[in-house]
Amino acid sequence: MELFLYTALFAPLAGSLFAGIFGASPKNIITGLVTSSLIFLSFVSSLFLFVHLYNGGEIVHVEMMDWIMAGDLSVPFGFVVDNVSSTMMLVVTLVSTVVHIYSMGYMEHDKGFNRFFSYLSAFVFSMMVLVMSDNFLGLFIGWEGVGLCSWLLIGFWYHKESATWAANEAFIMNRIADLGMLIGIFLIYWNFGSLQYDEVFSQVAETDTTILTWIGIFLFIGAMGKSAQFPLHTWLADAMEGPTPVSALIHAATMVTAGVYLVIRANELYSLIPEVGYFIASLGAFVAFFAATMALVNRDIKRVIAYSTLSQLGYMFVAGGLGAYWIALFHLATHAFFKALLFLGAGNVMHAMDDELNIMKMGGMRKVMGWTAILMIVASLALAGIYPFAGFFSKDKILEVAFDSNHYILWGVLWVTAGLTAFYSFRVVMLVFFGKERYKDFGFHPHEAHKFMLWAMSPLAVLAIIAGFFEHQFYNFVTGVLPHYNFSEEIHHVVGQLILVTTGIALTGIGIAVFSNMYREGVFSTVLQNNFIYRFLDNQWYIPKIYDEVFAKPYIELSTLLWNRVDVKIVDATVDGIAKFLHTTGEKTRGMQSGNLSHMLRWVVAGFTLLLVLAVVYTYYSI
Amino acid sequence: MLEKITIPLEALNLPTLIPMLIAVAGGLTILVVDLFKKDLDKSLYIVLSILFLTMDLGAVFDLELNQRGFFNVMLIDGIAVISQIVMIIASGLFILFAFSSQRFHEYRYPEFFALFLFMTAGFQFMVASDNLILIFVGLETASLSLYTMMVLHNKDKSFEAAIKYFTMGAMAAGFYAFSAMVFYGLTGSVELYKIFEVLHMRGFEPMILVLVASIAMLVSFGFKLAVVPFHTWGPDVYEGSSAALAGYISVVPKVAGFVVVIRIFEGLINLGIDWIEYILYGIVVLTMTLANIWALVQNDVKRMLAYSSISHAGFVMAAIMIGTTQANSGIFLYWILFAFTNLGAFAMLWVSHKRDAKYHERFDHPFEKFSGMVRLMPVGAVMMGLFMITLAGVPPFSIFWGKVYLISSAVNAGYIVLAIIMVLNSAIAAYYYLKLVVHMFLKEPITGRDGSVYMANASTSLKVVLGIAAFFTIASIFFVSPILDFTSFYMAMSGF
Repeated sequence: MELFLYTALFAPLAGSLFAGIFGASPKNIITGLVTSSLIFLSFVSSLFLFVHLYNGGEIVHVEMMDWIMAGDLSVPFGFVVDNVSSTMMLVVTLVSTVVHIYSMGYMEHDKGFNRFFSYLSAFVFSMMVLVMSDNFLGLFIGWEGVGLCSWLLIGFWYHKESATWAANEAFIMNRIADLGMLIGIFLIYWNFGSLQYDEVFSQVAETDTTILTWIGIFLFIGAMGKSAQFPLHTWLADAMEGPTPVSALIHAATMVTAGVYLVIRANELYSLIPEVGYFIASLGAFVAFFAATMALVNRDIKRVIAYSTLSQLGYMFVAGGLGAYWIALFHLATHAFFKALLFLGAGNVMHAMDDELNIMKMGGMRKVMGWTAILMIVASLALAGIYPFAGFFSKDKILEVAFDSNHYILWGVLWVTAGLTAFYSFRVVMLVFFGKERYKDFGFHPHEAHKFMLWAMSPLAVLAIIAGFFEHQFYNFVTGVLPHYNFSEEIHHVVGQLILVTTGIALTGIGIAVFSNMYREGVFSTVLQNNFIYRFLDNQWYIPKIYDEVFAKPYIELSTLLWNRVDVKIVDATVDGIAKFLHTTGEKTRGMQSGNLSHMLRWVVAGFTLLLVLAVVYTYYSI
Repeated sequence: MLEKITIPLEALNLPTLIPMLIAVAGGLTILVVDLFKKDLDKSLYIVLSILFLTMDLGAVFDLELNQRGFFNVMLIDGIAVISQIVMIIASGLFILFAFSSQRFHEYRYPEFFALFLFMTAGFQFMVASDNLILIFVGLETASLSLYTMMVLHNKDKSFEAAIKYFTMGAMAAGFYAFSAMVFYGLTGSVELYKIFEVLHMRGFEPMILVLVASIAMLVSFGFKLAVVPFHTWGPDVYEGSSAALAGYISVVPKVAGFVVVIRIFEGLINLGIDWIEYILYGIVVLTMTLANIWALVQNDVKRMLAYSSISHAGFVMAAIMIGTTQANSGIFLYWILFAFTNLGAFAMLWVSHKRDAKYHERFDHPFEKFSGMVRLMPVGAVMMGLFMITLAGVPPFSIFWGKVYLISSAVNAGYIVLAIIMVLNSAIAAYYYLKLVVHMFLKEPITGRDGSVYMANASTSLKVVLGIAAFFTIASIFFVSPILDFTSFYMAMSGF
């Protein structure tokens, strides 16, 4: 089994290095093929491990080597494949394989083809380190690794100002959150004397709750950054500057779910501090609603999907925060499938429209790209939570949990959000694939994507449809490691009504989107568009503006002040003064080196004489 | 009637002489080859030199430690072995410089290579003895060869440099002879261990004479190692010699000098003559600081490097003065690391050497020559930049570790003030090394449209040398610990 573990982990790295060798050379399809096959190999290995565990096999735990041995601190470079990490590995490698194959078509005309695959595989490697590590430090390494790859890939088209800006924004936001995470890790080491998961979690029960609360808060700050939770959410929408396969892989299916993974991984810790859990759930519910409202009005196809990702991450945190860890993981998996599918579909649309993103310029495209339309409708139905698609099962479970644990406000918010979700997903579908063919006015000539790209997407489509039916098997599998969530007796009586109510609002949302589009092109009337609420939502609740005014501008002011007053006048002046003093001394004394032989000899003799005098003085005084 | 003296051959312990004899034989071979066939290509002689140096090195490795030989004047202890190893390896790398793509006067003469091998033998004698007379013989053999090699460069500047070096060297030799005479007069021996024994027995009386002898010795080796105020020949000699030879002068002869200074002055300090320690302290501080300050105001890279070598030598002298085992092991660690980096820096100057190309009415390598080098020849500029920041002691490159080790040995031995001065000097040194980096990376190019001048003198073997130097500099983090084990072992073997 160790062989499978190492293959799953290092095959992506090998691919990345291979593609990296050709990084600066022109497009070579080989790099795409090699990296894709290596990722596929990694997927197969993960599948083997998964099956091994599913059939009741032992948890695979290896220590590759000693890593940090300093004093009492001992962190081996170890990896663990248990029920949770093997699920994550399977999701990550599956989506990665699809995205790699898809990218060979998507990036075919790009100059940085080889470089792209190098980065993409490096990302997969980092993500694998993140999920497979058996200690917090390894997780942190993976955490930073995915952050770096995300930075590289968002800024992949670095000649575009907006792309580099977005890349930096994402990186800096994540660094802020990572500080929190680091503090959390320090606290863990300080209190438990170890960073191994098993050692730490075996001790949490006897530890003071205050300390656990602080650790929980700081770790969650890290999770907030990676999973783009309010108030660190702004980077995710801007990250859409990267190539679309990147958005599908990193900013929908895998990296952004790392925060959820962290909460699930640390469930032993979080289940002891329900207050923090409740905070996480509340924040999740807020973000779910908040992001959904922004998605309602946005006209950029990728941004709508990005907000929807944000919103769905909120759902996952609600489940995680309320202690239903397996449900959070379940939603994570189903979401990965249908959201990656949705993004790749959007990629096809973008490609067809020469990178045009504005959905108001599209319309009626089902006629030219029927398959993409079908795939995206499948994904949207799954996202909206319509039976029998995957999203129905996982989302419904989350609502059930909220209702069952008597958090009726959370349930209400999520319920409304479910309606909004259905509305905005179908608003996009309607505006892109149905109605008047507005693209003709703008002179676009859309065409369907390559066959192999559609084939690559098909596994995701199948999973988006059927994944939900494996709920029980999934439950049985992951609860081998994760705690069970016990529903109360009463819930069984209302489950039917709850499903009905939720499906009802989802269908209503879809209905409004469909009918309003038939009734009027563009869904929102001009009157509505001038409404304050519309503008409020369109400007993302004015949050970027507030950040700019409250943080960025005062920071610049302060920096300028420090630069002009402190740095130039005090620090620079001191340093320059010392340098000038030394330089002048040098200039004044360099005369000693006149190049004249007689002078040189005189210096030698002078030195000798001086020493002689000193010797005489010394002898005289020491007697 | 004179008694017949018989000495059994075994008592001579001739194997101790083998390494030097190999070098001498090499020199003679080259001369003989020239006798039979004139105008052979220089590459033959270079290869012959390297061959003999390699055999020499093998013989050194083969030596048994801690033995005496040849009427007990030879002393093969750890320090003798390790210094010979360092010198031979450095010499082997420097002789590769002769594979320059341009033709130079000196390499046309086989005598140059013969002298080179004689010089190596001279240095080897110098370090493998504690007999003042044999040290003197070795010293003079090496020095006279060096003067001649310098002159063979055949430029006005090199004549001037050689004459200056020779005159100063003669004076230093005079001081040495004077000092040896006084020691002999005081103790009736020219063997260092005997001298120390007798001095100790007599309680250093008369003190003034002991001090006079020590001072004369100090002046003599102060000249050899170019410590302030006996350094004045340094910059002129560096400037006058070719970059290849200047690089050699900055590394190899100093190793031999250090060994003798360690033998003589650590012995005297250990005997309890505090005064020597105070004087050395003063000289060390002056050398480090003043050389650094003068390096700041130089306009020529080679002269700058000359002053910087003086300052580095000051660092090592500090370790000699401290004299603990840690400091002594640090001496060779530091110098090995320095040798490779300095080798690289001078190699960069050497490959950029172009005959008849003038950038300045006086200097061959003014800073302006390297302005904007990164635009014309990025790889070269990065290499040179690497050597400069390494010389400045930036981690994780080689010299940083040497500095850390020496400074920590100073702190451990209780020389806190000295440690602070060493640190401050490292800071000053960064200034002038970075000056070249600034010229290369931030200024506009003025030397011409293409970067060909920077590689005008390059050849494959020079590039190999550069590669070795760069590799060693970058990867030194992995070598430091083995080197230290190695030097500590040999130093401990000889009781330092």
